[in-house]
Amino acid sequence: MNLSQFNRILRQAFLLPVIALLIMAAALYLQMRDANNTVRLIQDTDSRLAQAAQVARLIADEESGLRGYEATGDERFLTDFHHAESSIQPTLDNLSTLSQGDAGQRLNVEDLRNEYQNWHDAFALPIISTVRAGGHANDVNLNLYGKSLMDQVRRDIHAIAYRAEAARASRIALWQTQVHNTIEALIAIALGMGVLIGLFTRSRLHAVSSAYRNSVEILGRRAEEIFQSEQQLRTTLASIGDGVISCDANGLIQMMNPVACDLTGWSQAEAVGRPLEEVFPILNPETGEPLETPVLKIQRTHATIALAPDTALLRRDGSRILIADSGAPIRDQSGDISGFVVVFRDITLERRTQETLLASEKLAVAGRLAATIAHEIHNPLDAVANLLYLLRTGASEEEAREFIDLAESELARVTQISRAMLGLYRESRAPVPVDLKEILEDILVLMEHRFHELNVSPRAELPQSVVVDAFPAELRQVFTNLIANAAEASSPGGVIQVKAHKIEAAPRQPPGATVIITDNGPGISNEILSQLFQPFFTTKGEHGTGLGLWVSRGIITKHGGSIDITSDTNPATHGTIVTVFLAEKPTITAGPSLPTP
Amino acid sequence: MLQNSHLILCVDDELVGLKVRKLLLERSGYQVLTANDGISGLALFEREPVEAVVLDYSMPGMHGGEVAARMRSLKPAVPILLLSAYIGLPSEITSLVNLYMTKGEGAMVLLQKLKSLLEQPVTAR
Repeated sequence: MNLSQFNRILRQAFLLPVIALLIMAAALYLQMRDANNTVRLIQDTDSRLAQAAQVARLIADEESGLRGYEATGDERFLTDFHHAESSIQPTLDNLSTLSQGDAGQRLNVEDLRNEYQNWHDAFALPIISTVRAGGHANDVNLNLYGKSLMDQVRRDIHAIAYRAEAARASRIALWQTQVHNTIEALIAIALGMGVLIGLFTRSRLHAVSSAYRNSVEILGRRAEEIFQSEQQLRTTLASIGDGVISCDANGLIQMMNPVACDLTGWSQAEAVGRPLEEVFPILNPETGEPLETPVLKIQRTHATIALAPDTALLRRDGSRILIADSGAPIRDQSGDISGFVVVFRDITLERRTQETLLASEKLAVAGRLAATIAHEIHNPLDAVANLLYLLRTGASEEEAREFIDLAESELARVTQISRAMLGLYRESRAPVPVDLKEILEDILVLMEHRFHELNVSPRAELPQSVVVDAFPAELRQVFTNLIANAAEASSPGGVIQVKAHKIEAAPRQPPGATVIITDNGPGISNEILSQLFQPFFTTKGEHGTGLGLWVSRGIITKHGGSIDITSDTNPATHGTIVTVFLAEKPTITAGPSLPTP
Repeated sequence: MLQNSHLILCVDDELVGLKVRKLLLERSGYQVLTANDGISGLALFEREPVEAVVLDYSMPGMHGGEVAARMRSLKPAVPILLLSAYIGLPSEITSLVNLYMTKGEGAMVLLQKLKSLLEQPVTAR
């Protein structure tokens, strides 16, 4: 039930009793109007009775006046007679008017008027005349005649009174009936309306109550759902492997999950309400300088941030751990920042694993060269050993000189190879000027036999020195990897080109050098191309570690450079080009070259 | 020194090593033919009455194992000494040849092994 339905019900519950009362009032009014009519009729009857009584009194006054005069002859007795005589006609007129609606009564009134006139004219006036003339009027027959006339009059008055009484009685009965009916109707209407209103109200209340019950049920369900989803989120946060800290808009901590407590050394209860920078102080691991807190950074940039890859967390007990973290603003419905979330994890172990991987990859590069090294050292040694035997078993002076020259050149070969090998391992602590031409030539020497074996021809285009600041051993590792890849890809019968040249400064690019290694192998499909720099991705099965290019990119990135691979699988123009850019004076941070994932 | 003037074929892609080895064997009284790769070595082997072969393993194009297998199919009786800069060649290659040694073991060892190969009656394979 929505609000408008509820309002309609409220309106109905208000209007229905009002309408019912109006109907009852109308019914009552009609009943009362009828009853009033009846009462007026009763009043009419009453005044008719009063008029009739008046007529009777006046006639009686006349009669007694006449008797008095008849007996005494004194005119004073006639005063009443005359008085009544003058009043009687208007009174009869009144009575006649009052009886207008009743034909029988009018007839009665006319009879009365006639009988009275009869008595007055035929008896009273002659008697008065007789007495006035001095005659006697106490004749029995005459008076009996007068009496009979008067009796007639009295009968008429009586009939009129009787009729009026009867009418009154019947009208009173009617009135009583009407009152009775009114009461009954009132009771019936009241009962009916009451029942109707009751039923209606009941049904409406029922609807409202069921809607209310529904709402309560839905609210209950919502509350349960919210509770469950909160529990779910709580459990997720608690069981997640990363530390999670949430703050309010002012950067005060609201919540920390167990991992965050563990990593920072603060308990949730102690940390809540404290500023983030107090519980989560982050430093530059090299310099120990405090870093800007994620909250300030987000407030400044209004965006999700990933913190510097090298971040150390100062724990409560003063120890430091390396962390990787990110921060994000929490926005309310209007898009304003209402808080922050910081997610971080301990990468100390991860860092150590990466260092181990790097070391093993370095060994793998050496392993890749092991066959070459064995061959390159054993062959000159074999020749030298044989030359020494020849010298010892006797040789002419000329022969001896030749043998010694040969032995020296063979030993020089061994020296060159061992130097190139050492170059792979000996590392300076800071970047030094490195001649890329020298490095590449060394590598080509080291790999000469490997090329031989794979039946590929290297073509070096290294016309002049190309010097950049770098860690030489790391660059040797990278280029050994890249050239070995090219040789293996284009074997047998392929051609590898190795070129290096300087690059002048350009907008958005510092001066530097490019090394381009090209092979005419079958090329790399796009599908594989996209995965080349993933760690542990290899196309060489058991013979590859899958780390070569991953580590190479890490090293080149550390040197402020870039590495790009383009490849063509077209049967006519197939081949792969690897381009490495190195800046001339890069800013390089010391430490292991960790590839960014 | 004529008593052991056997004809030996040396195959190696290392020019200096090959040259020195030829000198050494000639000093020891052998007649020596040399080849720089497997193909020319096989041609000489087929054409000349070679009595023993000193074969390098690691060569471009065709490695020593393959050369030895072809030589076996041509003249199974001729003994082959395989020289290698590597240690631990697979057994399917070492089983093809009569003897196998690592480069750098010294001239004495080479001469001794070659001598023993030529003295042994070779069983046809």
